[in-house]
Amino acid sequence: MIILLLIICNILFIPLLLIGVINKIKALLQTRVGAPVLQPFYDIVKFLRKGETISETASWVFIWTPRVTLGIGIMAAALVPWSGLQLPPAWWPATNLLLALYLLGMSKFLGMLAAMDTGSAFGGLGASREATISVLVEPALLIGLGSLAVGAGSMDLAAIYAHPMHPLVAALIGAALLIAALAELSRMPVDDPTTHLELTMVHEAMILENSGRNLALTEYAVALRSCIYFGLAAQTLWRVWPGFSEQSSWMQYLAGLGGLFALGIAVAIAEGVLVKLNWRRVPNFLILATVFSLCAALLAVTR
Amino acid sequence: MDIPDIPGGFAYWCGAALFAWLIITVGGLYLRRSHSLFFPICFALGSLLILLCAILGTTGTVALPLPSYLGDAGITFTNDPLSRWFLGIIGLVGIPVAGFSPGYFRHLQERIAVGVVWSGLALLFISMVGVVLSANAIVFMVAWELMALSSFLLVASEHSSRHIRHAALVYLGATRAGTAFLMAGFLWAHQLTGSWAFADWHLTGVAAIGPAFLILLGLLTKAGSWPFHLWLPIAHPAAPAPVSAVMSGVMIKTAIYAMIRLFVIGDHLSAPYLGVVILLLGAISAFWGVLFALLQHDLKRLLAYSSVENIGIIMMGIGIAIVGREMALPALALLGLGAALLHTLNHAIFKSLLFLGCGAVDAQTHLRDVEYMGGLLRRMPWTGAGFIVGSAAICSLPPMNGFVSEWLLYNGFFELALHGPTAIVRLGAILLMGWLALVGALALATFTKAVGVVFLGLPRSAAAEKAVEADKGMLAAQLALAVCCALFGVLAVLVLQPLGQVTALLGPGKALATYWTIPLPLLVILLVTLVAAITLGVVWLARGRKTERYITWECGFGTLNARMQYSAASFAQPIVRLFGGLYHYVMRIDRRGQNKRHFPDEMSAEMTHEPYLETRVYSPLLSGIRRLASSFLLLLQGGSIHQYLFYMLLVLALLCWVGVRG
Repeated sequence: MIILLLIICNILFIPLLLIGVINKIKALLQTRVGAPVLQPFYDIVKFLRKGETISETASWVFIWTPRVTLGIGIMAAALVPWSGLQLPPAWWPATNLLLALYLLGMSKFLGMLAAMDTGSAFGGLGASREATISVLVEPALLIGLGSLAVGAGSMDLAAIYAHPMHPLVAALIGAALLIAALAELSRMPVDDPTTHLELTMVHEAMILENSGRNLALTEYAVALRSCIYFGLAAQTLWRVWPGFSEQSSWMQYLAGLGGLFALGIAVAIAEGVLVKLNWRRVPNFLILATVFSLCAALLAVTR
Repeated sequence: MDIPDIPGGFAYWCGAALFAWLIITVGGLYLRRSHSLFFPICFALGSLLILLCAILGTTGTVALPLPSYLGDAGITFTNDPLSRWFLGIIGLVGIPVAGFSPGYFRHLQERIAVGVVWSGLALLFISMVGVVLSANAIVFMVAWELMALSSFLLVASEHSSRHIRHAALVYLGATRAGTAFLMAGFLWAHQLTGSWAFADWHLTGVAAIGPAFLILLGLLTKAGSWPFHLWLPIAHPAAPAPVSAVMSGVMIKTAIYAMIRLFVIGDHLSAPYLGVVILLLGAISAFWGVLFALLQHDLKRLLAYSSVENIGIIMMGIGIAIVGREMALPALALLGLGAALLHTLNHAIFKSLLFLGCGAVDAQTHLRDVEYMGGLLRRMPWTGAGFIVGSAAICSLPPMNGFVSEWLLYNGFFELALHGPTAIVRLGAILLMGWLALVGALALATFTKAVGVVFLGLPRSAAAEKAVEADKGMLAAQLALAVCCALFGVLAVLVLQPLGQVTALLGPGKALATYWTIPLPLLVILLVTLVAAITLGVVWLARGRKTERYITWECGFGTLNARMQYSAASFAQPIVRLFGGLYHYVMRIDRRGQNKRHFPDEMSAEMTHEPYLETRVYSPLLSGIRRLASSFLLLLQGGSIHQYLFYMLLVLALLCWVGVRG
């Protein structure tokens, strides 16, 4: 029961808190005071209580997508052990890594359709780039998580993370997951979440037409997805330390959350220091994730 | 007719279905231009009977006692779980096609003879049933040829147009080449075993290499696998939509049936390397097909290339099934075969749904090029919804049916990665998982593009703007297939249980259904509840606030028009550029005017690609053959009667000599 409550709290509070922390650190790096850490919560509440403007061109796809993607996001966040917590087997048999990836794929599919639904040039641009990023990232994710699964002898995510990992494999796949997360969540250096310039944006271009509740739900779903990706990366990176799986489950949970926020801070610092890559050079960066995953696969099969 | 050994009366039902189709075949030739409802009703009846036959039928053999001038091969049919699986696919696609066609043919009535198309369609179904039931090579070959010819006639339905005649000829050429290889393989196998019956063929080792690979070549041509896929994107756009749906959804699958029958089940032809070759060709097909699908602007060509992709996925399943049998990994063989068969069924459902959707768009707008479409979801809401469901299914997104079959395939690769004999094999298996993910991501891009450009946004032409929803029969057909997509995904057990009977042909072992551990029904119930709760929540929170309809943001430049939207070409461009080396992708941008850098008067962009397989392999090959035909063969066949008489004399002498030698 406690686990269920914790999972619900995780889903409700951690994602937006993570975004708030990232924004605060970025502001501090730019010697601004910045918005309060809880600002994303205020924003969501504000958006939810506002009216909505919908494009005349839009159809039901546009109206229903944020609701469905948030539903999928909540479900994925409940099923994937990104915070080290896993639903008891009596309630949910197993979270297969393919189910997790393909559920996120479904929300991506709907998101891209909703972006193209309004007939704006921006929507198509964002959707096209999102599709490109997913072509570059999906193989890396599957090879990486697949080689972890081969090590553990099961494609169940809980079993994968319960099994001790080779430190080098964990480091490589953690890095690959992190790069994948940066790309999937439109963070620097792949996308700049703060600009509204069509040359640079991916995610912002897709949600340019969203307003009110529609925007709130979309932002929340994206925050949830960030948590799932960064959380999995943190969980994997923690396992570079072989003693991690011997700690008590509470320690693991707290360490996992700590790792998540540490990654968030690292991302914020990177966003403060790095410049955004030219869109044409993004593939060169993302291919790194595949290379890391391939190396990990090589280690996983030879051991 | 003497049929004592038929349990369950399956042969009578099957016979009734064939009879119903035969009536159409003959009747269509007499009522050439008739739009009578007799055709679709009779056609649906035949399909329903075949479907029932598949669900309720039992295993048995029927030998028709006709005068046997076929040597030792009788006219024999067998029905076993594998045949029934494919009978089910034929019936399941036949019913919606019957519902869809009357409405669709109406817009083509100027250009085609509707009765003749019905006749060809019925003949195609009769021959497909013949192929999957045939018990020996001769009956198989006859049905196979009937299938090739009837589908050729269907492709040529609109033969008054020049490019359709060309497409039909290309298709005919491809089937001829395929049949030649198949025939050679069958003859060789007969030579080695002394029997035409598939049941008597048990060739292993080096002896099996010749026949197995010849037969494989023939089947690959029919299936449309790389590098023999070229006829698909030419023939499919030429055929009427229901015909494309049947050809892509069912007909090319008969080659899959033959592969499974001969190479996987029953140890008929187990040649070394066969599994690996099929696996690799499947992997290349899957990638190649989806990559070229992304490049297409003609919706039907796009769907045709996507069939190449899905055939590749199915062949990967067959490949690992054979590899699993060779490596004595029964779980691998089970998962591979299960994935191949289930994806065959699933692809039949969603690909016919997509082809019918494309046909509905074509019938209502007379458009094929996606660059002139757009905004059709608001004008044709049901067709659009069906197309979206089909696209989600073909991208194997949960909870649609495609997810279940790809899941089985991933599990097959995973099994190989766990238990493969060497590290190289295990690494290869992990790479194949990544490869399948790459193919999946490309499919996602392709179908997002298709749905986005065709159904969403603003209409890009007047024809698209004025489109209205298709008629009820067309909608019912698409709706039925869309429901099947969702049903066979959410309640996968419905199909996994009968599929278990087919995979049980591999020998005793774990049941296939035990591998499927994902509680999708629960997931869907949870998701629906969550979405309902979210909807109620947001509506309640924003109560009293109004929802406005307003123009899409156009940066304040003035009215937004359809040309400002992303086109299909621009959507695909970033991905197409990534793999540009594979097809020499060039984008030429031309600016004209005084200050052409900042304020060009005129600007045009043109993208070209050169498909190397066509330009570097097939074109030289074909022109070589043509040169040979016009020089050397012309000498042989010069039109002189004396020359021909001389040939006949030579052949007679040869036969005498062979006879004397004994």
